[in-house]
Amino acid sequence: MARHSRTLMLPMMAALMTTTVFAQGAMTDVGTPRSETMIVQTFDGRSSNPSAQNPLNSYAIWRGFRELGWAALWEMDTATGESYPELADGFPEVLNDEHTKFRVKIREGIKWSDGEDFNVDDIIFTFDTAFKYRDKLTNVSSITRLVDSYEKIDDHTFEVTTATPVYDFVTRMGVYTWGMPFNWVPQHVFEPLGDEVVTFQNAPAVTLGAYKIKEFDPNGFWQLWELREDWDESGWNIDEEPAVKYVYYKDFGTEETRALAFVQNQYDVDTFMSPDSIEAAKARNPNIETFSPTFPYHDMNDACSYGIYINNQKAPYDMPEVRWALALALDLEQVGISAMSGQFKASPLPLADTPITNPLYVEPLESWLEELTIGDGYKPFNTDFGADLVETLASQGVDQSQLPSGEAVEEGFGIGWWKHDPEQAAKMLESVGMTKGSDGFFTMPDGSPWVLEFVIPGDWNKVLQRVGFSIADSWRQAGFNVNARQVDNGEFGTVQTTNARMELQINWSNSCTYNVNWQNSWRNFRADNVLPADSNDALVQNFARIVDERIFDIVSESASLEIGTEEFVENGRQIAKYLTEDMQMINLMNIPTTIPTNSTYWTNFPKQDNFYAAPYTWWSSFKKTVTNVEPTGQ
Amino acid sequence: MGALVYIAKRFGLYLAVLFIGLSITFLLPRLMPINPVDGYIGQIQSRANGALSAEAIAELRDNLENLYGLKGNLFTQYVDYMKRIVFSFDFGPSFTYFPQPVSQMLMAALPWTLSLLLTATVIAWTLGNLVGLVAGYFHKKKAASILEFVGILLYPIPYYILAVTVLLLLAYVFPVFPLSATFPVGQMSWEKVGMIIYNSLLPGITLVLAGFGWNILSMKALAVATTEEPYVIYARLKGASNWTRMTRYVFRNALLPQVTALALSLGMVFNGALLTEMIFSYPGIGLVMRAAATGGDYNVLYGAITISIIAVATAGLVIDLLYPLLDPRIRHK
Repeated sequence: MARHSRTLMLPMMAALMTTTVFAQGAMTDVGTPRSETMIVQTFDGRSSNPSAQNPLNSYAIWRGFRELGWAALWEMDTATGESYPELADGFPEVLNDEHTKFRVKIREGIKWSDGEDFNVDDIIFTFDTAFKYRDKLTNVSSITRLVDSYEKIDDHTFEVTTATPVYDFVTRMGVYTWGMPFNWVPQHVFEPLGDEVVTFQNAPAVTLGAYKIKEFDPNGFWQLWELREDWDESGWNIDEEPAVKYVYYKDFGTEETRALAFVQNQYDVDTFMSPDSIEAAKARNPNIETFSPTFPYHDMNDACSYGIYINNQKAPYDMPEVRWALALALDLEQVGISAMSGQFKASPLPLADTPITNPLYVEPLESWLEELTIGDGYKPFNTDFGADLVETLASQGVDQSQLPSGEAVEEGFGIGWWKHDPEQAAKMLESVGMTKGSDGFFTMPDGSPWVLEFVIPGDWNKVLQRVGFSIADSWRQAGFNVNARQVDNGEFGTVQTTNARMELQINWSNSCTYNVNWQNSWRNFRADNVLPADSNDALVQNFARIVDERIFDIVSESASLEIGTEEFVENGRQIAKYLTEDMQMINLMNIPTTIPTNSTYWTNFPKQDNFYAAPYTWWSSFKKTVTNVEPTGQ
Repeated sequence: MGALVYIAKRFGLYLAVLFIGLSITFLLPRLMPINPVDGYIGQIQSRANGALSAEAIAELRDNLENLYGLKGNLFTQYVDYMKRIVFSFDFGPSFTYFPQPVSQMLMAALPWTLSLLLTATVIAWTLGNLVGLVAGYFHKKKAASILEFVGILLYPIPYYILAVTVLLLLAYVFPVFPLSATFPVGQMSWEKVGMIIYNSLLPGITLVLAGFGWNILSMKALAVATTEEPYVIYARLKGASNWTRMTRYVFRNALLPQVTALALSLGMVFNGALLTEMIFSYPGIGLVMRAAATGGDYNVLYGAITISIIAVATAGLVIDLLYPLLDPRIRHK
């Protein structure tokens, strides 16, 4: 017993020493040199099933797989929105006028992380497996519905015939913004399994990226990746050896624990820390940085925007006057200040206003927004929104040096938003017979009480939860009897897909146009994706409940247009106009996700003034960050 | 004969509790406004950033309903569920992590939960009862008031505040323990076992502190009342020592309700300790249940709740069977 006591005491002492050394920055708690390890907070906290690593089924994706493990035929440069070949050797050759047949060449010399060659046999095997077990595998339908047939031409060339004309083959088979819908699997690992491939866990996975799994926690808190010795033969197509030798994904726990650990330099990149915690951490550690050095600190050029989705089929929301009244009654300046301390970029169009989308959609529609009239000729657009916000923030004591000025105001806070004009909102409601009752709230046209059911996330999305409550407060002050109902993410999804349950919901899923290809976000605005207003059946996308036939026609017509042609882009702008002029959804702001970094061990993270990639650690483009950061020598 | 009837009655009640519990467990998740198929599709869509076509989603929905066993009427699903659980103790696959069997997920989490919570519960119970006994028996002395004060001080503190305070003190201000522990993986060695114990100390201390206060207060109240009982006074008049009166007269008689509370606490251990797991990054069943509840993963919920029901019901049965041994009055009846 005494011997055992000593045996137990030793590791405890060692652990104490490890903690001390860890705090000093020499080694990580998984035994890698801190100076060679980038440590990242996981996107989803803890994984319930980290051993699930088979990408043909649901798997523990948020442990670095798409950022470090997989490789795509074509990856996306998230700084420009342009695709570039990764596994593929160039772009696909279109073999027919109908855009249904494509020839793809893959690069020679690519190896899996276990040293085996990657070639077309792996691709054909993956297709075969997906089709053979399409009713048993849960992550293959994207490919089985897209692809009609496929054929190996040689070891490095294959051809694909699609079920329908496809003009965005590169992003449907590769990456659009943050990840690919389908991954290739190694034939030499999967083929011997036979039918057991459908239950295969695949841990640790054999991968194609420049990093391979060194170790993972079966309890789901962390996963450690190590740079492959043959990184130059990986699927990434990179010439320079990354300085980061290890990438360590770890869940540091609750926001309180994370903030403390961040201050102690225990990790380098966080995710979803609230602006208040970031501010507190920054005050204690000068190496902690936000995305922008000035307001708004947390506009990350996200792919999506937050908006209020409206059930356009349900009375009284089927009337544009009601939808506009909701927009004009909403004091976005107050919402943004109370919910996010002014850390947001407003966006009146149904997409995020980023360096990529601005010249394509926002800037060309700016004068249209200024001239837009509604009702009796009222001009709802407020071009001074950003300037007013700067003024308000300054009056509230924000240091002038932290606030943008001149042209930077528009770059920081957006081109403007809708006027906060409750009087005009009341007029619009009165024009359709909706007046205030004796309780001070607007009623339905027949005089019956009108209670607005507004669904917002619970504390699984704290920023959106706060935004939602602030919006409800703003509406209530303007005379709308709103019930802001916070729900868990499971119910949020059910409300999103069920007409009978949905009136108003804060959402982002149909406003994720990242580049010239607006089809990726809006192609499901189709007549056959509309269900009756009281239906309990599940909607297939079109969560914004768009029922505008004009938009359906444009989407249909654009399906046979080359992506990027002026006609195609103009069609996207027209959809944005229709959505906006009838206020079919109330777009609010770019998603203000927070990704603070700690530059104690690594520098050259993507920032607003150094935007070489989107800063997200859970997008496949994080590989750009991993290959671009530089060690500080600590 | 009487003993057999007693045992048979208790066992019948036990089976009835299990049957009703399992039936309610089947229905409850289905009353949640969450559809696991929607949840899964939402995840896949989000991961693909909308690249899934409407046709692909429709195909996926159909497949998932089949694979999850959600086709067919509710009664057929109920019968299948009961058959699987009663005859093979099989909870089927997780929906969210299909096709991973639920039993594997639970078996991976349970040892962590049990080792931490059983240990912390027993320590908190033992320490709390000992301190409470002394405080109650000597309740007229100043030192007893101080002991009671400890209980009064700890008991009302919300667990979250207590845990964060302990974390701040022992992992940030005085960094004796890690803020966010990393548990070793792979083949176990004594060194790794030591590391696991070391990493479990902070959550363990917090759980003991949280459970300690209630045990002090309840045992103290029982001890005070028992001390005034005629048989204790009689023992004192007969010249029995303080130690004898405290341990043999007061403690044994005050212990019964505390044993009940302990047994029920041990049964509840199977529910996990969600806040502890979240705050201290401790692996356990609480986080598994939370993920299942938010994602509508019915089978994982069935598995976790069923184990908990069985544990609590079994604890109740064991108490019922042990009572006659502990208390001669029940034995006599």
